[in-house]
Amino acid sequence: MYGSLDISVGGMIAQRTRMQVIAANIANANVLEDTEGNFSPYLRRATMIEPGDPTATTEQGRALGVHVADIRIVEGSLARRYDPSHPYADKDGYLMVPDINPIVEQLNAMEASRAYEANVAAAETAKTMMTSALRLLA
Amino acid sequence: MTDPLGLIRTSTASPTRSIAGGPRPEAGAPSFKDVLLQNIDEVNKLQQDATKAVEDLTAGRRDDVEGVMLATSKADTAFKALQAVRNRVMEAYDEIKQIRV
Repeated sequence: MYGSLDISVGGMIAQRTRMQVIAANIANANVLEDTEGNFSPYLRRATMIEPGDPTATTEQGRALGVHVADIRIVEGSLARRYDPSHPYADKDGYLMVPDINPIVEQLNAMEASRAYEANVAAAETAKTMMTSALRLLA
Repeated sequence: MTDPLGLIRTSTASPTRSIAGGPRPEAGAPSFKDVLLQNIDEVNKLQQDATKAVEDLTAGRRDDVEGVMLATSKADTAFKALQAVRNRVMEAYDEIKQIRV
């Protein structure tokens, strides 16, 4: 009975997690060092959404829902930038920086937001359906 | 029959749509009263879950608004269903009260 609600909730949680990853990508776009102070430019993160939601409360939710399986580090997502005055520049004056395109991230954020809204709409429809069935009974 | 999503239930439970006469209650089957009481317990549990979820959310112990929404919707729908059944029973009782003997 609550299967479709559970599935929509799984989708909403997945899209929210995806949005967090996008926010992290944007926030870390200029990060060049790790926490120990060594040169280590931030690598882009990508969200991997897979079918099935092990945390769902219903059988249908577990079978048909979605969950974030992995937040993968995109290896080699670095760009070469010419900045001879920078302390981390190599002998030719080039510097490796995170390859994060704000336009791409913004598009992804918009998509995540729309997908979240779509899941909310699906959950609302499921609730409306249940309520109308109850009206028949009452 | 193809059912890749496993949504088509071939239920062996008591038929809900029966023809003339209806299914005879088997010996040992739970009575209506037992089923009703069990459902009241279940609805009560759902309500408690929802209350706890809302409490946890406002106290900052959890941050998934979606899960709280699911818990409250579940409790709400379950309660409405129970209320519908109760109204039906009361309606039937009122009908019986009207019978002159």
